[in-house]
Amino acid sequence: MMNLYSVKSVVVASMATAAFLIIPQLARAADIEAGRARAQTCIACHGPAGNSVDPAVPALAGQPEQALATALYQFREGNRKNAVMSPMAADLSNAEMNDLAAYFESEKRSAPTHQTKPENLVLGPALAKQYNCTQCHGPALMGIQHIPRIAGQQHDYLLAQLTGFRDMKRADMDGNMTSAVSRLKDEEIIVLVDYISGLGTK
Amino acid sequence: MVIKHALSALALALAMPAFAQQATAPAPAAAPASAPAVPAAEPPPAWKQGLGDSAQPNTLHPFAAKMTGVAAKDLPMSKLKVPPGFKVEVWVDGVPESRSLAIGPKGTVFVSNRIGKNVYAVTEKDGKRVVKTILKGQNTPNGIAMIGNTLFVAEHDKITRYDDIENNLDNPKGELVVDGLDPSNGPGHFWKFLVAGPDGKLYFNIGSPQNITMPSYIQAAILRVDPKTKQMERVATGVRNSVGMAFHPVTKKLWFTDHGRDWLGDDGPNDELNVLNKEGENFGFPFCHQGDMPDPEYGKYNTCAMSTPPVLKLGAHVAPLGIRFYTGNMFPAEYKNNMFMARHGSWNRTTKQGYDVMRVVLDANGKVTKYEPFLTGFLTDDKADPPMWGRPVDVQLLGDGSMLVSDDYNGVIYRVSYKK
Repeated sequence: MMNLYSVKSVVVASMATAAFLIIPQLARAADIEAGRARAQTCIACHGPAGNSVDPAVPALAGQPEQALATALYQFREGNRKNAVMSPMAADLSNAEMNDLAAYFESEKRSAPTHQTKPENLVLGPALAKQYNCTQCHGPALMGIQHIPRIAGQQHDYLLAQLTGFRDMKRADMDGNMTSAVSRLKDEEIIVLVDYISGLGTK
Repeated sequence: MVIKHALSALALALAMPAFAQQATAPAPAAAPASAPAVPAAEPPPAWKQGLGDSAQPNTLHPFAAKMTGVAAKDLPMSKLKVPPGFKVEVWVDGVPESRSLAIGPKGTVFVSNRIGKNVYAVTEKDGKRVVKTILKGQNTPNGIAMIGNTLFVAEHDKITRYDDIENNLDNPKGELVVDGLDPSNGPGHFWKFLVAGPDGKLYFNIGSPQNITMPSYIQAAILRVDPKTKQMERVATGVRNSVGMAFHPVTKKLWFTDHGRDWLGDDGPNDELNVLNKEGENFGFPFCHQGDMPDPEYGKYNTCAMSTPPVLKLGAHVAPLGIRFYTGNMFPAEYKNNMFMARHGSWNRTTKQGYDVMRVVLDANGKVTKYEPFLTGFLTDDKADPPMWGRPVDVQLLGDGSMLVSDDYNGVIYRVSYKK
């Protein structure tokens, strides 16, 4: 079966690429430049252009716009809670969130600094398949629409989110993440995070 | 669980030649010599259950609402089409993930959420519409209905009443009607639709916890509860997930939409429009879909003759949601007692369809004579991802006879009016 996986992944990836090419043709309501101006507060923690250098702070560059706007919405509405982010999002309007999201989506994610252990380059993909990560986040874990890109995401941030979902302490959008990771063991989380945070753009 | 999934996957793979066409990938490459053994897969997410062999390449996925919404000025309204004489406009924007609609006696429009956790009230103040969050931190408050000036809210697992709501928008006082409505606490189809019957009882769905599975006694059913006695009864079974119900203004019968199962291909099964003729009637799920299509796995346990077929096949994966009968006085006379149906649109289909409001015309005997598009233009490219810029969820009549249409994707409510 393993040989089939690799070939089909390529097929799926090319289909996903085709889909991405179509998106920019739709009218973009949000204002990237307005988002860039407002983002100066964000980059103090999230890094230049949203390329975080702090392992505990997520990178925002290259994330799907809808995923970013959804995260901001969840902080403002209190579904997600964080000592820094909750007050940051509290006074943002929907339009301001959309602008910020559009700006960070437009930035390029730099190559990850995290180095995956060699053994996890083998174990990681198998776990990502077993726990259905690739079913929603996509074959290269690049995210789509409301589903965030996790490839190359910051190591400690991913670790905290996965553990939070598994322990039912991290607010979910629609229940899919909570159910997907409910059976993850601690040692599997460590392997998955080590693998995913080292992934670059394919 | 894992074994059961594997068996159903096998049964589906054997029974579904339709999937064979998806396997036309290039010739497989040689396996790497050091390839590790693949562990048994965990159960897939609820929406992907029933796909069968998960190694099949498939990029179809559900769409999610833009929680931060799109402002009215940024919507391509000129793309929308309605019949001659009708007009469609944005009635209010900035209602995140606007789902079900209910109207209070003074004209307050209540709007529900599915994943947004809020219930909103839209009121007029100094000629402007104001969106007010009246309930926060709700657990999937998708179902809302009015009886007099009492707002009923159906969450994931319970129904709560808020009496004298229009006079208490700042401080609604809730009282539990019934709870324990989610026996499995599963990840699928946990949202409710709620409608008040002519008998003063509240009707609601408990969906199938999975795409395709054997439901328990209380699941894949339509139930009702008497808000006075809190007595609960099951009125229909074999209903996979109904998120649209309305009582015919003349016959007083319950009409409801039902979503067909996924992963049986692009063109089947059809979603359904059903009518309940007697209490306890069975509508087929999981044994029989669309009245005449036995399920590849469960169909061997039962036949389609043992359940009531739909009165209308609606198309595959069109996702019919809210329905209401037109009892207003603004639209032309031939619209009287017609049904309007919001179709959320397909995701489980390579070529997308739906994303519109349909008109269903019935004759005096309640037989469907016409099923035609009424409000269209949200679907812009049926091969794109996403293929649409808006998704109708519910329809509801205002006091002047015009019709509201909610769109959860943009967090917007439209108004359709008519002028000779």
